[in-house]
Amino acid sequence: MQAEPKRRSHFIPRTRDGWIATGAFIGLFLLAMPPVTHLVLNRTDPWILGLPFIYASLLIIYTLLILVLVWALRRGV
Amino acid sequence: METWVVATGLIFVYLLITLVLGVVANRMLTVDMEDFLLYGRKAGFVVLYLTVVASFHSVFAFLGSSGFFYTHGVGFWVAGTWTLLVGAITYVIGTRIWALGKAFGYMTPADMLADFYESETVRVVVAVVSVVFTILYIQAQAQGLGYIINVASDGRIGIELGTLILLTVAATYLMAGGLRAVYWTDVLQGIWMYAAVWVGALFLAYELFGGPLELWRAVLEARPDLLSLPGPNGFFTPGIWIGMTITLSFGIILQPHMMIRYYTAVDAKTLKLLGATTPIYLMTLFIPAALIGMGGAIVMPGLEGPAADRIFPELLFMYAPPWLTGMILAGATAAAMSTLDSILHANMTVLTRDIYQRYIRPEESQAHYVWVGRAIILLLLVVGYYMSVLTLDFLVVLVTLSGAGALQLLPAILGVCFPGGRTLTRAGVVSGIAAGLVGLYVTLVVAPHPLGLHGAIWALLLNATVAVTVSAFTEPPSAETIERVHGELERFVYGTEE
Repeated sequence: MQAEPKRRSHFIPRTRDGWIATGAFIGLFLLAMPPVTHLVLNRTDPWILGLPFIYASLLIIYTLLILVLVWALRRGV
Repeated sequence: METWVVATGLIFVYLLITLVLGVVANRMLTVDMEDFLLYGRKAGFVVLYLTVVASFHSVFAFLGSSGFFYTHGVGFWVAGTWTLLVGAITYVIGTRIWALGKAFGYMTPADMLADFYESETVRVVVAVVSVVFTILYIQAQAQGLGYIINVASDGRIGIELGTLILLTVAATYLMAGGLRAVYWTDVLQGIWMYAAVWVGALFLAYELFGGPLELWRAVLEARPDLLSLPGPNGFFTPGIWIGMTITLSFGIILQPHMMIRYYTAVDAKTLKLLGATTPIYLMTLFIPAALIGMGGAIVMPGLEGPAADRIFPELLFMYAPPWLTGMILAGATAAAMSTLDSILHANMTVLTRDIYQRYIRPEESQAHYVWVGRAIILLLLVVGYYMSVLTLDFLVVLVTLSGAGALQLLPAILGVCFPGGRTLTRAGVVSGIAAGLVGLYVTLVVAPHPLGLHGAIWALLLNATVAVTVSAFTEPPSAETIERVHGELERFVYGTEE
């Protein structure tokens, strides 16, 4: 079996901006995943801007995730 | 004028516009496979944006999502998670696929995987998985189209005839203008379907409840069970939430009709902008769907099973003026056709490029392959029509599997697109996909969702385990190929060669 060329992993960010974007996206994404969704967000009160808490909080998280992607784009990540 | 006349008339006006776009696209076509199959690899941001979102959101997003909110409540807001992942996948993986396609002339997913893993077996397996699992979508979209025109005409046009008319229109503009026609019609379809859902939902919210916020209050008073997880029927468990997130993001993006779109971008910057902004459209389309579904659960209760998917047109026919109903049903037609034409095109591309050109007639002219592609579209039209009118038991089983089928390509694609660590081998990739498909059948059909975790996730875990294990004991791709492909990615992503 021949030896494989060794190369630094592309799964791990190599810049500070890369770490920030990856960490922020994963961190926020986990807020929209169980168990947070089913244990923490799973209620209607308090209502936010006229919307039930579970719906509004997820909408806020989704919006922040889009902002992370836009930030990464602007920083050239 | 009666509602059905206006609704049916507007759908036919819409169909006429798509045919005109197909003819105009035909005038600009050069006899070249890259032009016919890949838009000449020069799709700009606006066209690419609207074709990606229109192809991603099918008739399910237009009708089925409202049905999901109607039946299972706020849990379907999980949809936001997979739309966000689609953006991230495009940003991170899509750009790499684009770079490799541009560097090495790939046209299909199988092109890339067969080249890296140095295996014709990988090419055939990927091509077969691509076609088998997406051709089933033709059935779903075609049935949806037949249903929409049947509803719009108040039963005067039968579902089978409606399916045939709309399939024929999609195939006609695709044969005329190739992917350019698909992209141009997708621009129209993407705008129309988005406007239709929002306008329809806001109209109904104000007409029936006095506004969207009042609608939410009414849901709390009348159906508080719709505002909690896992929902009235206990559907949205944590395992299903995670499973739908993974399956409906990676599982759809890895289907050929979506992956081929990455090859068509004019540059990587366009794709990154696409990744950062597509979730805006994809996610916000589910906001009006929630209003329609949960508002419908209050004013029109009692629809069960597949009947719940009819809630949007049922509300329109009861409460909206004819012109608005017609505009919105034309939007539903757009949602189905934009996905249908993309799948027809992708299957044609895979069969022409990966099978016909590779194994049957490898040395023919570009014009020859373009005409073969057109003939394959006709064949797919016939197959799609018969699949949509003959609902056979085995097809029902296959449709159950289809959403998760392309997900089984994920380990192989990550192996190509992300250097580092041990490289997967051709034997590992093929055995992983085979194990994943068997796993899908068991965990989605025989014993659905073991331990509450979505079957597609079990199958993916099995696939990855088998792929890594077999790869540890078998021959990897040659060092030259790994260096060529991964070196290209190193230069593309980091601008350096180590």
